[in-house]
Amino acid sequence: MKRLFVILSLILVGSMLLSACGAPAAEPETPVEPEAPVVDEPESTEKTVLNVWSFTNEILTMAVAFEKTHPDVDVVYTMIPMTNGEYQTKLMATLGTDEVPDVVALEAAFVKSYVESDFLADIGDLQKYADELKMYPFVYEVGMADGVHKAYAYQATPGALFYRRSLAKEYFGTDDPVEMQEILGDFDKYIAAAEVVKEKSGGDTYMVSSNGDFQNLFFANREQPWVVDGKLTVDPMVNEMIETVKIFRDNGYEARATQWQEGWFAGMNDTLADAAGNPKKVFSYFLPTWGLPYVLEPNSTSADGSSTTKGDWAVIEGPLPYQWGGTWLGVMEETKKMDLAKEFIRFCTLDEENLTNWATGVYTNEYLKAIDPNVPDDQYQAAGDFVGSQVVVEKITASFDDSAMSEFLGGQNSYGGFAAAAPSVNARLMQGSDDAIQRALNDPLNSYLEGTITLDEMWDLWKDAVRNEFPDLIIE
Amino acid sequence: MFKKLKYDHYGYLFVAPFIIGFLIFGLYPVLNTVFLSFTDRTLMSRTFNITWFKNFQLLFADKTFITAVTNTWELWLMNFIPQMGIAFLLSVFFTNLRLKIKGVGVWRMIFYMPNLMMASAIAALFFSLFSYYGPVNQFIVRSGFVAEAIDFIRKPSWMRGLVVFIQWWMWFGQTTILLMAAMTAIPVSLYEAALVDGAGSLQMFLHITLPLIKPVMIYILVTSLVGGMQMFDIPYLLTDGRGSPGNSILTNTINMYMKFHSSKGHIGAASAVGLVVFLMTSIVALLIFFLLREKHDEPVKNGNREK
Repeated sequence: MKRLFVILSLILVGSMLLSACGAPAAEPETPVEPEAPVVDEPESTEKTVLNVWSFTNEILTMAVAFEKTHPDVDVVYTMIPMTNGEYQTKLMATLGTDEVPDVVALEAAFVKSYVESDFLADIGDLQKYADELKMYPFVYEVGMADGVHKAYAYQATPGALFYRRSLAKEYFGTDDPVEMQEILGDFDKYIAAAEVVKEKSGGDTYMVSSNGDFQNLFFANREQPWVVDGKLTVDPMVNEMIETVKIFRDNGYEARATQWQEGWFAGMNDTLADAAGNPKKVFSYFLPTWGLPYVLEPNSTSADGSSTTKGDWAVIEGPLPYQWGGTWLGVMEETKKMDLAKEFIRFCTLDEENLTNWATGVYTNEYLKAIDPNVPDDQYQAAGDFVGSQVVVEKITASFDDSAMSEFLGGQNSYGGFAAAAPSVNARLMQGSDDAIQRALNDPLNSYLEGTITLDEMWDLWKDAVRNEFPDLIIE
Repeated sequence: MFKKLKYDHYGYLFVAPFIIGFLIFGLYPVLNTVFLSFTDRTLMSRTFNITWFKNFQLLFADKTFITAVTNTWELWLMNFIPQMGIAFLLSVFFTNLRLKIKGVGVWRMIFYMPNLMMASAIAALFFSLFSYYGPVNQFIVRSGFVAEAIDFIRKPSWMRGLVVFIQWWMWFGQTTILLMAAMTAIPVSLYEAALVDGAGSLQMFLHITLPLIKPVMIYILVTSLVGGMQMFDIPYLLTDGRGSPGNSILTNTINMYMKFHSSKGHIGAASAVGLVVFLMTSIVALLIFFLLREKHDEPVKNGNREK
C-alpha cells in the first residue's frame, strides 16, 4: 500500500513537472507571440545603459542596430508579453517609481492612455525629423495630447481586406484586385456580395470569420470620439456596425468564430469544419498591414501541412478605410538619460536609413549577430513591414514587386496598396479609454446577436459595464 | 556569568520574522487599501483627491457591482453545498468500519488530483472543450444528440454551470480529505459503545460524528467562504476575463481587477470593491463562528449527575 502510494506520488510529481515544461495553451491576442521575458544583459560597464521595455521582440532588432551606430551605448532590452495584459500591468505598476525604464513601447490599445497621462515626456523636438520624412499624420497624431508630442511610431498600420483568389473567381468570375474593389467597394456592396457567396457556395463559404473583424472598420470611421466633454457618446457609425454584424449573423454570412481563436485561424488555411465535420471556407479577412506577415502568412498552412492557401490571397482597400494596431515609442518622464532616449526614438522611428533597412529585410540574423553575438538565432526582421514615412515608402515600394510576400498574394505588391490606403487614415478620434469602452461592447453585442437580449438591453448592459470601469464618466 | 541569562525574551525573536512579514505584507496593504478606497487615485496620474465615500456611493449605485456580489454568492453556494454533500458521503463511506473499502489512499488521491492542476490549465482545457468548434460540439452533433452546434461559451447558464462544476470538481477532494481526517480522529470506542447500546448508522452519524467534527466543519466552511468570495482564476480565464457572457460569471474579484485594469487604472475604486468584499466576508465568517460556537455553558442535567 505504502509503496503504491510512493510510486503514484512519484508519477504525479513527474507528470506535474512534465506539464510544467509543456507550452501553456495561450490564447493569442497579439500578432507576435513572445515566449518568455528576454533580458539582454549589459556586457560592459563602461557603456551608457539605456533601458527599453517592450511587449514583442521586434524592437530588439532595432536596439541592436542602434548599438552599431552608437557603440558607446548598451541597450538593455526587456520583453514582457502582453498576451494576457502582463505588460500593461507591469508598466502601470512601476509608473512613478524609480524602476521605470527609459523608453517604453506602447501598443495601439493603450498608447493613448499613456500619452494622456502625466508619465510620458515631451519629445516635440523630434517633430522636425517627422516632417522631413513626411510621416503619415496619424502616426504622430496618436502620440499627441494637448498639442504635445509624446510618442512616435515606426509603422503605419492602415487596414485592408484580404480575400481568396480561387473563391473570388468561382463566385464573381474574377480575382483581379481592381475589379474586386469595385465589387466590394462599400458596405452595401459587401453585404450583397456576402449573399452571392452564400448562395453560390450553398452556405459552405462564409464571407467573414468573426463579427469582431468588422469593429475596427466602423470605429475608425466615426465622426465623434467615445467621450465628448466627459460624456459617453455613441456615433451613428457604431449603430451601423451593430446593424451590419446582425445582418451577417442572422443571414449566416459569418462563421461565428472568435478573433484570435482556433476557428478564426482555421479559416486562413481551409481547415475550418463545422461540428458535423463538413468543411467550410472563409472568403475574406479584414487585417491591417502587419496582419499579412504576422497573422495571415504564418497561419496559411495547416498544422499538419496538408492544407495551404499560399498564393491564393489578394488584398484590396475594402469597403472602408481604417487602421488597426501599431507600436509607438515614448520616453518616461523619470528618465535620467533624456537625450539618449530621444536619440533612440529618433533612430527607431524617424531615421530614413533605419526605416529602409527595417522594411527591406536588411536586418537579417547574420547582420545582427555581427553587432552583438548574443542575439538569439530567431531574431531578425523579414522584409515587408509597412513603415510610417512616406519618403521611405515611396523609395522602396517597387522593391517588393517580386518578393516572397507578393508571391503569397499571387503576384500582387501589397506595399503599393497600403501606400495608397495610408494617407486616408485618421486617428484623431483615438482616446485613452477607447480600448476599454470597445471591449465592454463585445459581450453585450454577442448576447444581442445570440438573441438572448434585445437591442435596448444590450445598450444598458454596455453602459453598466462602462460605468463600472470609468467611475467619473457621465453616462446617460 | 551566564547564569542569569533570561530565556523568556527569546520567544519574541523567534516570532519576529512572521510579525515583521505580516506587518509589511499583510497589515500595511490592508490599511493602504482602506486609505485608497477613500480617494479617486488612478495609476495614470500623479495627483489624487480624497473623495471620502464617493467610491462607495458609486459602487452601490452600480448594477455591475450588485451583479458581481450576487454572482459570487450564488456561484459559491452552488458549488459549496454539493461539495459538502459529496464530501460527507464519501468520507462516511471511506471511514465506515463495516464497509471496509479498499485502497482508500488511492481514491483519496484521485479525488484530490484536480486540485493539483493549475487553474489556468483547467480553464483553458474547458474553454477548448466547449468552444463552438470544439470537441464537445463535434461529439454531440456527430452522434446525433443535437442538430446544430451550441455556442456554449455565449450561453450564460452553461458557463455558470461550468464554473460551478469546475470549482466543485477541484475542491471536493480537499474537503473529503479534511472530513475524513476529522472522522478518523474520533475514537472508535465511541462507536463501539454506541453499537453495544443498539444505535443505528444514522444515529451514530447524527450524535457522534457530526458533533465531534464540528470544529473541522467550521474550518472548511470559513476557508471555503473566504476562497469563494475571492473566486477569480477560473471565471476570469474561462471566458474573456470580464465575466462574459452577460456578466454571468462576473465575480467580486474580477470586478475589482477590471477597475484596476481599465485604461486609467482606477485603484481607488478598485480598493473600494476590495474593502466591501473584505467587510462582507469578515461579517459572515464571524457570524458562522458565532452561530456554530461550542456551547460550553450548557447546564448539566440532574439525572446525569445522580448516576
